[in-house]
Amino acid sequence: MIRLYHIDKRYGDHQALKDVNLHVAKGEFVYVTGPSGAGKSTLLRMLYGALKPTGGKLLVGGVDASKLPQKRLPFLRRNIGVVFQDFKLIPNRSVADNVGLALEVLGTPRAEIDRRARAVLNVVGLAGKEERMPQDLSGGEQQRVAVARAIVNDPAVLLADEPTGNLDGAMAIEVMEILMSINLRGTTVLVATHDAGLMKRFPQRTLRFEAGRLVSGQ
Amino acid sequence: MIQHILRRTLRSLKENFSLNLVATGVIGATVLLAGVYLSALQTLDRVVESWDRDAHVSAYFQPEIEVELRFATKDQITARQEVATVSYVSEEDAAAYLSERVEEVGPILEELGPEVLPASLEITLSQGHATPAEIQAFVDSIDGPPFEHVDYGQDWVQRFHTFLTLLRGLGLVLGVLISLAAIFLVGNTMHLVAYARRAELETMKLVGATWGFTALPFALEGCVQGLIGGGMGLLGVYALHQVLVARLEDALALALAGAELSFLGAGWAVLLLGASVLLGVCGCLWSVTRFWRKAP
Ligand SMILES: Nc1ncnc2c1ncn2[C@@H]1O[C@H](COP(=O)(O)OP(=O)(O)OP(=O)(O)O)[C@@H](O)[C@H]1O
Ligand SMILES: [Mg+2]
Repeated sequence: MIRLYHIDKRYGDHQALKDVNLHVAKGEFVYVTGPSGAGKSTLLRMLYGALKPTGGKLLVGGVDASKLPQKRLPFLRRNIGVVFQDFKLIPNRSVADNVGLALEVLGTPRAEIDRRARAVLNVVGLAGKEERMPQDLSGGEQQRVAVARAIVNDPAVLLADEPTGNLDGAMAIEVMEILMSINLRGTTVLVATHDAGLMKRFPQRTLRFEAGRLVSGQ
Repeated sequence: MIQHILRRTLRSLKENFSLNLVATGVIGATVLLAGVYLSALQTLDRVVESWDRDAHVSAYFQPEIEVELRFATKDQITARQEVATVSYVSEEDAAAYLSERVEEVGPILEELGPEVLPASLEITLSQGHATPAEIQAFVDSIDGPPFEHVDYGQDWVQRFHTFLTLLRGLGLVLGVLISLAAIFLVGNTMHLVAYARRAELETMKLVGATWGFTALPFALEGCVQGLIGGGMGLLGVYALHQVLVARLEDALALALAGAELSFLGAGWAVLLLGASVLLGVCGCLWSVTRFWRKAP
């Protein structure tokens, strides 16, 4: 599903990723870990086409994301759900509207958007909060809205950047269980995290980055 | 899909009401300026046209020319295609005309005898041949015997034409400047609208919205601004026209030589409305595209 060949990424003269080679099969669940600044977010951003590598080749679902023209980018992203480190929820839009956005851009009819948004909010434990505004939710609830939006269109790949970063233990476990259940339905999941406790509790293949190099987990 | 786009458009119009009002106002003011300028130019054009229409040439005969020759000359000139009317004014007619106008000269003319004023042909050129250059060419072509001299109000007609050409050029330069300013203002106002919604734009791009899906509501928003702003501007021009006609027509009647104060024709109105829609749409697309490019 995801293949990286000799990927390099530099920001100016700072090398964020160095010669990363990687293969993630369809349906896998993989942690991406490492100290702060190791390049975890950089890797995920390249996977959804927000960054281009400065060297190497990068395939996502058979599509060469490193050479994708801007015009094709939306179609790559429709197959990838992303839980952003900073959520990227739209203020002044209800929780249901925020979740429905991922379907709206596909042209899904209103009624179906409502139905599916409701269903997925139920899955992440936010039933009854559909009409709330994001700013009226706790950090943990916002994080779950972000998860709901990422999974509402059943993407082939789910990328989650620190999806439990703002959650206490019990809530973090709940979100992880949601991600696991998405994975069980066949979605390939990559989770960037620092949380050693969580990785211990839900052991999975772990890619460890240090200073831009993939040091274990290939 | 269309349903989503319309919903987005309406929502943005509502949520950014005051900014949209500003953009609409800018478009309206631009159209008002352009409309007033065009109306004024059209009115002046008609004035000049009405003068040209009576492009009038007086050709004075040399005193010794025989009456038969005078009439032959008249027929010759009448036959020319650029000539509308020719009338023969004899010495007596001229004297009678003059003494009718200026009573004091009556006795003097009687004293001197009617031959003191020359006979003449009063020639009107047809409308299609009344530019200053054409009048001048015509005058040159008939100047010389049997005429003593040929006369027309060349100087000031010429000057007025120059003035009009200047006004047109000035208007064009001003028009371009005002349009650029309007594009800039509308663009920047829409930039604020797009800025207010940059989080939404960025998120939309991240979840796989196409540029078209994102930009179309903005384009429609600009279209609405253009229609309303342009319509208001045209209404303003029309209202101004009505007021001016009511207040000034009498005072201007003389200067306008019977030409009416003209309101923009339907053609120009449609053109201005089209231009304001284009202005709104381009301003909006420009600003949304700037943010779209920057978004990851
Ligand atoms: N836009 C940028 N310009 C310059 N340097 C950047 C940029 N984005 C990231 N970096 C640098 O690249 C390195 C990797 O950043 P990245 O965000 O991928 O780290 P991370 O592993 O996600 O860290 P964290 O755990 O803190 O989220 C860091 O040293 C960071 O300072
Ligand atoms: Mg990060």
